[in-house]
Amino acid sequence: MAKKKNEHPDQIDLTTFEWISVGPRDPQGMNQPTCGSCHPGGGGLEFDRDGKRYDTRLKAEPQLAQSLDGDYYQSQWDKTGVVEADCLLCHLPGYNFNERTRQLKMLNYKWAGTAASGIGLVSGYVRDGQQPKVTYNRRLFNEDGKIVLDLSYPPPAENCVFCHGISDVKKRGFSWNDRVNHDVHNAQGMNCAHCHPAIEDPARKITKLQHQFAKGHENVSTVRDDLDYVGFKTCQQCHEQGYMGAPRPQHLSIRPNHLEKLACEVCHIPAVHRAGFEGFDVTTGAMVNYPTMLPPPGAKKIGDEFTWRPSYQRDEKGKLWPVNRFKSVFFTNQDKDGINYPLFARELKKGYDKAKEQLKPKNPQKPELHTPEQIKIALLALKETLQGNKRFQQIKPFFHKGGMMYYLDDKGELVSGPDTTWAGHAEGFNINHNVAPASLALGAQGCGDCHSSEAHMFKGQIVTDMFGPDGKPVTISSGRLFGCRPWAFYVNQFHQTYLTPYVSILLLLLVFGLTLHYTGQGPKGADFTYEPATIERFNVTERWTHLIRMLSFLVLTFTGYIFFYNNVTMLRMFFSTPNAAVVVHWVAGLIFVAAGIVAMALWAKDAKFAPYDREWLAKRGGYLGGKEVEVPAGRLNAGQKIFLWFTAVLTLIMGVTGILLIFKTSLPLTWSCVLSTVHGLFAVVFVAAVIAHAYLGTIANPGTWRALVDGKVSRTWAKKHHSEWYKEIVAREEKEKGSPPPEEKA
Amino acid sequence: MKRLCVILGGGLAVVAAWLLLLPPELHARERACVPFHLKTEDGKIINPLTGENADQPYSPRQTCGACHNYDEITKGFHFQQGWDRIRDDFSKTKPWVLSDGMLGKF
Repeated sequence: MAKKKNEHPDQIDLTTFEWISVGPRDPQGMNQPTCGSCHPGGGGLEFDRDGKRYDTRLKAEPQLAQSLDGDYYQSQWDKTGVVEADCLLCHLPGYNFNERTRQLKMLNYKWAGTAASGIGLVSGYVRDGQQPKVTYNRRLFNEDGKIVLDLSYPPPAENCVFCHGISDVKKRGFSWNDRVNHDVHNAQGMNCAHCHPAIEDPARKITKLQHQFAKGHENVSTVRDDLDYVGFKTCQQCHEQGYMGAPRPQHLSIRPNHLEKLACEVCHIPAVHRAGFEGFDVTTGAMVNYPTMLPPPGAKKIGDEFTWRPSYQRDEKGKLWPVNRFKSVFFTNQDKDGINYPLFARELKKGYDKAKEQLKPKNPQKPELHTPEQIKIALLALKETLQGNKRFQQIKPFFHKGGMMYYLDDKGELVSGPDTTWAGHAEGFNINHNVAPASLALGAQGCGDCHSSEAHMFKGQIVTDMFGPDGKPVTISSGRLFGCRPWAFYVNQFHQTYLTPYVSILLLLLVFGLTLHYTGQGPKGADFTYEPATIERFNVTERWTHLIRMLSFLVLTFTGYIFFYNNVTMLRMFFSTPNAAVVVHWVAGLIFVAAGIVAMALWAKDAKFAPYDREWLAKRGGYLGGKEVEVPAGRLNAGQKIFLWFTAVLTLIMGVTGILLIFKTSLPLTWSCVLSTVHGLFAVVFVAAVIAHAYLGTIANPGTWRALVDGKVSRTWAKKHHSEWYKEIVAREEKEKGSPPPEEKA
Repeated sequence: MKRLCVILGGGLAVVAAWLLLLPPELHARERACVPFHLKTEDGKIINPLTGENADQPYSPRQTCGACHNYDEITKGFHFQQGWDRIRDDFSKTKPWVLSDGMLGKF
């Protein structure tokens, strides 16, 4: 809109007068709303910026129409009248919004309300130089001349949707009372005014009479942010208080961090069923809107019946919201002050008309500036057009598209790079309406609604540029827009998509391999459990440490499995809430780490590698080959030593990542992605190692398990399995008896 | 007399049942206005039955404003859309933005 004070006509785009009626006036475009269609009147449609009524002032000061006053320049207020606040636009069911649009476009400003309300027919148009006249519908009047109108308080939703249905396609979601795109609140008989009532706020000196309606927040246009959530009840407020009988869900099956990090709308608006607004292109000087482009082949036009899934965006608190992310194909001129000023439609049209011959678009209404060559042609034409424009001190046109900016350097060559200007700031219009019931929300069918290889939440595609160099949309994985660094996102995706599905199979293969080993080779050595156990192998502390490690590991494996596969059924069976499972998991984890530290302290000395371990390793502990092989071993054999140190490292990794993951919600998303990936991957390795360890410690080596129960082994077992350790025992025994140890017979 | 009481009682019951069974949105809705005179922008009555000012458009300010406080109502954001805060030097970083409403936004 034009400023009030201007020095040259070049500075004036739309005056207040033009703004009311702007838009196509051909028969096809006649119903396309003007700015004045949705602005209900009053305010800037009635009074100028000096607080005076336009029509009376222009009659008194007709020279204003020839001045550069942004309210009066080339206006006809004295003929059109002003647009007073039309109460019937909101309060009269059956109000004809299209007729209002038509009347405004024909400059019948003060007649628009009469015609659109249907109380009278209006003939003659100011635009055609006529004096409009009204013929009232006499059937609406009583004998005393009073009109009888079935007005509605609060306004019916149908009337709100006149504006918010049409503009919502671009801005805040979709129409409210749409059968195709239903809303659970609408289905319950709620109306717009139930959530957006007139504000009563003495602290802000706002009274209900002022028609100041409660609003949420909208993150693109950011209008009147000081009124955000004033008098407004959020989803949480209504559903925690049971306001108007709202159900009070406990979300028992949802992981608690989801409720902290996701807006309710993320799950409860899983899809929208009318084509949204992908973006706009102003290259031709007209606003060309493009509908949703995904899934291919895309929608034919905005508002068509078409199912698509939202994009997601974080707010300043890190919470994720569903949005209709829009893209702009836009031109600015960078002036001497370094600010990129948006170009007026008429300036763009002139430029495009110059470039059109060279561009040769397939559709003259839809320009094609995809390739660097085409962009250069358009910028050169625009530069030529803007020469001498009085509103700029410097002519340097910029083209903005898909997060990139393009301009011509001093030699006239095209320069491109990431868009660092305000125009490159990508945003999405919030989606708050058309809420699905709980049974259709994401998560209702389990975690796989979002955490599966095909789910839209992470793997679904979102358009980032309406037209790449090949003219086709450029897309990106939905999850990439959550704010995670690309490398971390793809590491996590590799884990989720390619590894997770095969982990169970790999572990089953391991078990199968061990079974083959057992059936092929049998248990190692004879079972010496019939012999009296006389040698203490593990003391009480060691046995308890091992037991605690083992039990906590089992708990970790069980809960970890549930998280790894998001197994809701098992979660509900054993823990009732995800929060309980999470707490059990990290408490068990802390115990396991503590027990691991104690184990290291207890066995570190025994786990020092000795020269004879080489022989053990060379003969692979005698586990392969199917023959009985004698291998030397200390109190711990080389395999046990490797296992101890290996699990020490694994415990360290799991402990550090696990402890950090306890505070996951406070960490940057990149950290969470990497930590959970590392934690998950090493958990699998750990489980595989423990399965092998358990096999070797039980059926593969009879008698071993007994050492962990009562701590004792037989002499033969010790000699057979841990010959070097046995020698130490015998030597110690002899030393205690005071005689030299007997020589071992070969 | 007894029959009259029965008829009245029955009638009341039918009315009460009708009110109770109405769809909820009809319960919520109130009829906002009694019959009223339309008025021209200079406050004259429009009466199509007598032809008085019958070719003039009605003025919401004069018509609705006869009972309701038009000036107070139009203070709301839906009407002002930033016009009550508009000024040429509203934004230094985006000099073409003149208000934080939809009027003068772009």
